[in-house]
Formats: sequence, C-alpha cells, structure tokens
Amino acid sequence: MSKRVLLHVGTPKTGTSYLQDVLFRNRDRLAAQGVHYPLDRFDGHFLAALDLMRLPWGGLETHAIGEWDRLVARTRELLAAPSEGDVSVIISHEIFAAASRSQTGRALAQLGLDDPETEIHLLLSVRDLVRQIPAEWQENVKHRSTLSFAAFLEQISDPERDSRIGSWFWGVQEIPDILDRWGADLPPARVHLVTVPAPGSPKDLLWERFEEAFGLRGLDIEREGERANPSLGVPETALLRRINRSANRVVPPAAYRPLVRELLAHQTLSQRTGSPRLALPLELHGQVQETSRRWVEAIKERGYDVVGDLDDLIGEPPTTYVDPDRPAPRQVNAAAIDAIKALLVENGRLLAEQERLDAELARTREELHRAYLRPTYKLREKIVRRLEGHPAGRRVMRVYRRVRGRPQPPAMPEG
Amino acid sequence: MSAPTTPEQGLARAWGWVAHLREGGTTPWRDWLVGGSDAATAARHLPGAQQLELLRRLNELAARERVRPGAALAERVLSASMAGRGRPDRLLAGADRPTGFGLPPVDPGDLPRGELLRVAATLLAEDVVAAGVEPVQQGLLRPWRVRHRLVGDLWLTAPAREHLLRKGRPPGGRDRIIVVVARDLPGMLADTWTAHSFDAGVPPWEEWVAGAHRRGRLYPRADPLRTARWWAERVGPAQVHVVLDAAALARVVGVRRLPTPPHVSADGVDLARRLVPVMGLLAVPERRAELLRRGLAPRLAAYAGPRLAVPDEHRDWVAEQARRQRDGLLADGYPVHGDPDVLLAEPRPGGRSPEMGAVFELALRMLLDGRRER
Repeated sequence: MSKRVLLHVGTPKTGTSYLQDVLFRNRDRLAAQGVHYPLDRFDGHFLAALDLMRLPWGGLETHAIGEWDRLVARTRELLAAPSEGDVSVIISHEIFAAASRSQTGRALAQLGLDDPETEIHLLLSVRDLVRQIPAEWQENVKHRSTLSFAAFLEQISDPERDSRIGSWFWGVQEIPDILDRWGADLPPARVHLVTVPAPGSPKDLLWERFEEAFGLRGLDIEREGERANPSLGVPETALLRRINRSANRVVPPAAYRPLVRELLAHQTLSQRTGSPRLALPLELHGQVQETSRRWVEAIKERGYDVVGDLDDLIGEPPTTYVDPDRPAPRQVNAAAIDAIKALLVENGRLLAEQERLDAELARTREELHRAYLRPTYKLREKIVRRLEGHPAGRRVMRVYRRVRGRPQPPAMPEG
Repeated sequence: MSAPTTPEQGLARAWGWVAHLREGGTTPWRDWLVGGSDAATAARHLPGAQQLELLRRLNELAARERVRPGAALAERVLSASMAGRGRPDRLLAGADRPTGFGLPPVDPGDLPRGELLRVAATLLAEDVVAAGVEPVQQGLLRPWRVRHRLVGDLWLTAPAREHLLRKGRPPGGRDRIIVVVARDLPGMLADTWTAHSFDAGVPPWEEWVAGAHRRGRLYPRADPLRTARWWAERVGPAQVHVVLDAAALARVVGVRRLPTPPHVSADGVDLARRLVPVMGLLAVPERRAELLRRGLAPRLAAYAGPRLAVPDEHRDWVAEQARRQRDGLLADGYPVHGDPDVLLAEPRPGGRSPEMGAVFELALRMLLDGRRER
C-alpha cells in the first residue's frame, strides 16, 4: 500500500486550468477511488501557494493567510487515515513554480520528505518557450498590465532579472531551475515532466499525458471541464492593453476580475476566431530555440521520468509575425465592437436583475407595512416606547432582547 | 590555507562559514578560507546569500553592541523566506555548484541593502504579528459628552480618537461639531505620509512630496482648508472648528487631556512603510493597520533619529501653500483654536528624508532587540 503526494508545481499556460477543473469536478468521485484533491473552493491551492510563497496578488492574499498550513494538515490527515488501498493526494497550482529554495525546502519537509512511508512525486507540465513568451505577456495583460510586448521582451532579456516581470517570468518558466529548486531532494524517478504536445497534435493528447503522469488512467471520472485559460489573438490583446491603460485607475481589482478578465477576455475576446495569433518576433526565434536546446540537454542528463517528447520543447519556428504593439486598427475596432456588445448584453442582464430585485423589495416593503398596521404590532410598539423612556424600562428591554437573542439597538454612531 | 578549488571543497568552505555565522562570526564570505564542516549533514541545502549576509551584518552589530544574537535568531534568519515579488534566494558564489540556470551565484558582500532589507522586513513583520495588540474597547457611554467628529491630520487624530472611544466618547451624534485638526504644514505633510506608511502603503517620501508639488495640490488629509470647506457645505461653517494646538484639542472635545502620537524618526517611518506589503500577507487589512500603528509605532519610537523634513526643492511651494491655508481659513470665518500663524511655522532644523543605510541599520537593531521579546 503506497501513500503518495503528487505535487504539480507548474508551469503556467500548460493546460493547468483544464486539469484543475477536471480534478475539482471529480474530487468526490476520485476520493472514493483513493485519489484526493483536497480543497473547498476552486482556487484553494492557488491561495495555499500564495501563502507558502508570501505573494501579494491584487488583494487576494488576505484570503490566503494560513491556507498553506491548512492544506498540509489536510494532506497529512488524508495520508494517515486508515485505508485498504493506495492513497494519493494531488496538490496542483502553476505559481508554485516560482517558489524559492527555502520555500520548496519548507514545503517538501512539511509534506513528508523525511517520512519513509510517504512518496513525494513532483510533476511539472512544460511547453516550448517560443509559445510561452507571448503567452506570459498576454497573461500579464489579463492581469491589468499596460506593458507593451517590446518592453516585456526587453525586461525578460535582462540577465540580472532585476525587474518584477523578469524575475517572475524566469521563476515560472526556466524549467531546469524550477527542477533544481523543487526536485533536488527527490530521486529522479519521482520527478515527472509532462510536455505539452506541439501545435496540431490530437486534442486529447495532453490530457492523456496528464492521466499517465498523475496515475489517473483507468479511474472513473468525467473528463469534460468547463474552466480553461483561453488565449487571445493580437488585436484582442492589444485592445485589452488599451483598456487597462484607460480603466486601471477607475476599475478596482474586485470589478476587474469579473468584468475585464472573465467577461471581456475569457468569454468574449477569446471566442473570436480568425485574428492573427500572438507569436515571438522572428529575429528572436533562433536565440530562444538555442536556450530551449540547452534546457532539453540538461533535463535528459538528469534522468527524470518524461511523459511526452522533450524535443517538443524546442518549439516550431513561426511563419508569420504580427506586432501586437502595432495592430491593424480595423481589427482592433472589430474586437472593440464585440467588447461593447458583450458589455451591453451584460448590462441588460443586470438591469433585468435590478428590476426583479426592485419588485421583490417593493413586495417585501408592502408586506412589512401591512404588518405594522396590525393592532398587536401597534400595542407592542407602544409598550416598547414606554419602556425605553426610563432607565428601569431600558434594563427590562435589554434583558428581554438578550433572552430572545435579538440585537441591541446600535450604540456606535458613525466613525 | 588557500582558497578551495573543487565544488566539494567550496561546499565544505560554505558550511564552515555558516557554522561561523551561527556562532556569531563576522568574517565576510570573500575572506573566509577555512573549509571542512559536517554541518551539511544537518541541512539539505545552503541558506540563500541574502539570509547569510543579513546574519553576518546582525553579528557585526551585535559585536559592536557587545551582545550575542543567539541561536534562535540565527536560525530564523537563515531559514527566512522572503515575502513579495523580486529576486529569489541567491546561491553563494564559490560554494554552490553552478548549474548554468537561474540567477548566477553571488558574493553576499555585493548584494544591495534593499535585498537584505527584504529578508529583515519579513522577519520584523512576523515579530509584529506575533506581539499582537489588544483591540480598542468602547467605554461606558457618557451622555454629557461633546458630540464631535475628528478630521484632518491623520497621525494626530488617531490616538485621540481611540482615547475618546475608550472613555465612552465615540465620534458622531446629533449636532456634532467637526473638529479639523491641523498643525504647521510641513509637519502635517510628514504626519500624513507617516499615517499612510503605517496603514495602506505609500510611495517613498521624496517621491510622494514631489507628486503633490507636481500636481500643485496638497493631499486631502494634509489640506485642512479643503477639509473645512467640505464639511462646512454639509453641516454649516459654525459647526466646523479648526484646532491648531494640541492642548486646545482636549478642551474642544471636552476632556482634560489627550494622548499624543509616538514620535517616530524618518527612518523608522520608512521601515514601517516597507513592512506594510509583508504585513498584508500575514494579517487582514483592519488588523494590519492596528498592529502597525499601535504595535510597531511605539517600538519604533524607542529609537531616536532625525524627523522627516520636506526636501529643500519643495519648501517654497509648501510655504506658499501654508499661506493659502491660513488666509483661507481666516477668511471663511471658522472658529479657530490656536494661533493661525502656526500654519506658517518654519520647519525646525535637523530633519531629513529617510536614508536607506539608516533604515537598514534600524531594522538590524530591531531584530537584535526583538530576540528577547519573542
């Protein structure tokens, strides 16, 4: 009987949202088969990662306080519970990739690195840099960034990685370094790499690779997931960046997430087809491929378990390049019209909802008013007013309210 | 002994240095040539260069102060995990086998203070959370209390507001007076930046003052004239009292005396400002502000240092704004408690902007002193 922790630490933009959605939807079904995905809300492991790495994230970090320790406790509890078969616990979030050596050391120790009965398996899903670079820029734009693609490329080219963008990008994308930080204390056979298939591969291939790496093959689960992190084309990303430049100051993070990222980016702009796709500038391709080759060589030498083909990491040379900093105005206009339409439809829905709530409020008020008119209410009101008029009566009312479990009248005026 | 040449020798040298630092040693890495330690068996990997150098600097300060940092503090520093975004733990040049990936290893002596301060801020924030503060409880309501609302200088009003709440004199109520608390304008600017530094976060001092100058407008909390006019439109000018004297404030709200806020040096305020983002990861916003203002500020006040001063290039503009404030408040006819010329007071000599070196030194001192409190 084995007890395994399957720790999936990245990388971003490798189908992780889809995988996590399938795991989340099937968590009860999986638990019955000895595979646990312990979280109460969809972003539970994201919050745990923020907490472990002490990362600010647009205010979400306040929800993350203590989440990592809670996840560890739950994992240890699941592994310690009596069981007749094998037990696996899956922890998955792509931002774990950025953890520092001290953070990975702490995480692995807490999860049972020194416990001979616990096997920790590290999983890293990886994709070629040729696609990851524009994808990371787009991800930044979907998180309120106003940085141009040219400026992004310049920042990630700085060898000192002195900028926030540069240190984060390489932190979550430099595969051999991630494996040094997370995998140095694990036997190579317990480090599993899942490569994202090259463009044009069968749609199910990535999922099959995940199944193999996570040991989900043969388990009874529903594969249809709803969540994904869909990509935008060139004019759509350019439009979003312009929206950020104009709206960042007036749209708070809590409104940005549902309105801009979800409604505009994910539900509207990502559905547009036919736009030119984001790509790496042609002149950078050779250099990026060279870096990838160096990575592939290093990974091959280390003897990890690879699910897929490491040569997929070299990346296909792009045939065309459309500069997202200089998009075709007509294409951006067309995307903007779609965005306005989506906002109008959403506003229509919200107006209808407001009308429904107004009607419900009016009905409630009317019922309340009728209740006030009843003679019994009037009598009770008279008694309360009389009692509240002198200290002894107020004391009686206080006792009455305490006994009935009702709130005391407000004592704290405005601050 | 000559410098080690093989990776194994380099690693042994590094573990020897870690043991030296744990014992309170102060030798810089580049001068440490002794190898051979079995400490590697106790830990899987070397601490980051930032953590190691921070411990060495702490040891240097401890040696000057003739105290010992102690094993517990050394362990906390070595295992510290830096909060926030930025460059991760760096490998030690000449010790860790270069992998060719990630940032290149570094000599800890070459690290900028800002990177060491990131580690120190994380540890100090943990100390602040661990120390905690009691929540303010409202006292028995005084029916005869002066109905009031304190606005204006954030740093001066905060302790007064809490004191009044404890004494059963919460703000608000029917026919309340609006008390606009103000002082000399450079001081009020410093107070506003201080209050923000202990709360939600704010840009560095010089940048913040330059921002107001560039826009040609004072920040709302440092603009008593705008505050008074805003309230006058809502409650009438007769209800708005401008208080320019700390002693007068107690009289206006009907108590004998009010506490004054702690005097925190320019470097102390800047250190608090650097702790705010880390505190945001350890405590919810309401709790964070309480912990910083009522927990950290009195601790910082124990360390003397120059107070904040408006940089020279903005002084004329601030003086011009101060004249506008005084003239406007007098022209509007609000009851003014205290000398209106207080607003025009020349800044006292001896102040300055925060300095990185001094902020770092203060952080070290607090870590060293804090080891007894944990």
